[in-house]
Amino acid sequence: MPLSRESIIHDLNRIFKENFEIEDPDPDENLSQAYEFDSIDAIELLVEIEKILGFNLTQEEKKQAVEIRTINQICDYMEGLAEDRA
Amino acid sequence: MVERRVVITAGSAITPIGHGKANIVESLKNGVSGVKPLRRDDLLSAYIHSGVFGTVDYPVEYDFDRRFKKTMGPVAFYACQVVREVLAEAGLDPDFIGSGRLGVAFSSTHGSPTVQRGIYRQFFSGSSEEYSSVNAVDYLKSMVHTTAVNITKMFGITGRVIASSTACTTGSQSIGFGYETIKFGLQDAMVCGAADEYDTTTVAVFDNLLACSTAFNETPHLTPRPFEEKRDGLVVAEGAGALLLEEYEFARRRGAKILGEVIGFSCGNNGGDLILPNANGIKATLLTGLESAGIGPEDVDLISAHATGTKMGDVIEAQAMSKIYGDRPPVVALKSYMGHTMGACGAIEALMTLYMMEEGFIAPTLNLEKVDKRCAMIRHVAELIPDADIRIAAVQNFAFGGVNTCLFLKRFDG
Repeated sequence: MPLSRESIIHDLNRIFKENFEIEDPDPDENLSQAYEFDSIDAIELLVEIEKILGFNLTQEEKKQAVEIRTINQICDYMEGLAEDRA
Repeated sequence: MVERRVVITAGSAITPIGHGKANIVESLKNGVSGVKPLRRDDLLSAYIHSGVFGTVDYPVEYDFDRRFKKTMGPVAFYACQVVREVLAEAGLDPDFIGSGRLGVAFSSTHGSPTVQRGIYRQFFSGSSEEYSSVNAVDYLKSMVHTTAVNITKMFGITGRVIASSTACTTGSQSIGFGYETIKFGLQDAMVCGAADEYDTTTVAVFDNLLACSTAFNETPHLTPRPFEEKRDGLVVAEGAGALLLEEYEFARRRGAKILGEVIGFSCGNNGGDLILPNANGIKATLLTGLESAGIGPEDVDLISAHATGTKMGDVIEAQAMSKIYGDRPPVVALKSYMGHTMGACGAIEALMTLYMMEEGFIAPTLNLEKVDKRCAMIRHVAELIPDADIRIAAVQNFAFGGVNTCLFLKRFDG
């Protein structure tokens, strides 16, 4: 069953709160500028994304995340990964 | 080469006998021991014969932002807290902190063994899935220079980084190398120090070498017993110490309160056995230190001995001191209060020595009921000396690997 956008945002909000102390970020907010979300956080987030998706990402798939800046972009990225593996 | 004067303008420590100068001085004057029962863990404590540990058993309030905490293991929390206190006390201009003329000389024995343990647990769990769960920041938390670089990040320090990790001489090397860096004009100020966190693997190492105290598990405050007849080994401990060193004219111009001066430093190696203490190696280091400070043995008013409380180490150190100083200067073994804070001991003991200089007292070596006759040729301090005039003091530290250091501190009389 494909992941819904709502469930992805729900999971991301939980992860951002628990792991990064960031409460309900605006979906289009630049996470780096607003919360100093940096490359170290991004690597940790990728591990959490793998858990949500239920599969390990390839090195190439991880590299696609380099340009991501917002929650909406993370959702697009995750939906794309889920679709590719479907 | 022009040699510049180097002064101490701030200091702080988290130790088993207190946090900050007031608490530590009170404990030193009142003979308070910080040695407590070894805390239980799920790894080694059940197999270790030694049941004592120099413990920081009071809460330490950390008010660090997430962006700093995320790369810190317990050892970096200790380090950043004492450095925060040092920088607050010093009142350096924020522009200077990021100027490149302020550096950091700070390290620890292992990085963070707590974090390393978590990594190993995952690696050896037998599940290939666990590999990816090794956190991206685990290396930053556990690497050997984790304290130094977390300090640079938290406070925006952009100068030199020296993270010399040499076991029990880590802290004294940080101060010594920081001192030399300023003395020879490479930096105008250095944040110097060391830290080590609670860790039973270190206890296990010394326990297996039969070097840990085991006879006082039911009465922890009665051990270690440096230079004493019934001593039975060292007590591993945790803690952190930091000092700010500045070039004298720089400190004077900015109106800094000067607490003391570093006038000499030496560092040598036994060039042989990596574990056994070596009287000749120690003597050579003490003599080089005196030469570095431009003083003679007769100028030294107090010696803070390394004195861990091991059977052989204390005898060798006493013999070496006796050859150079005779039985004149008082000798104190500060580890009798808190155990051996490992990498941090040089920084903590230098700071305690500075406190005694500033406040004009000499703390006695605790548990010194009957001096071992093989250590009796030096002047031990068994009772508090409340009115001591200490102009120059030596701080001695020796490490596994055969590394020996000696720092010379001088009271600042204006």
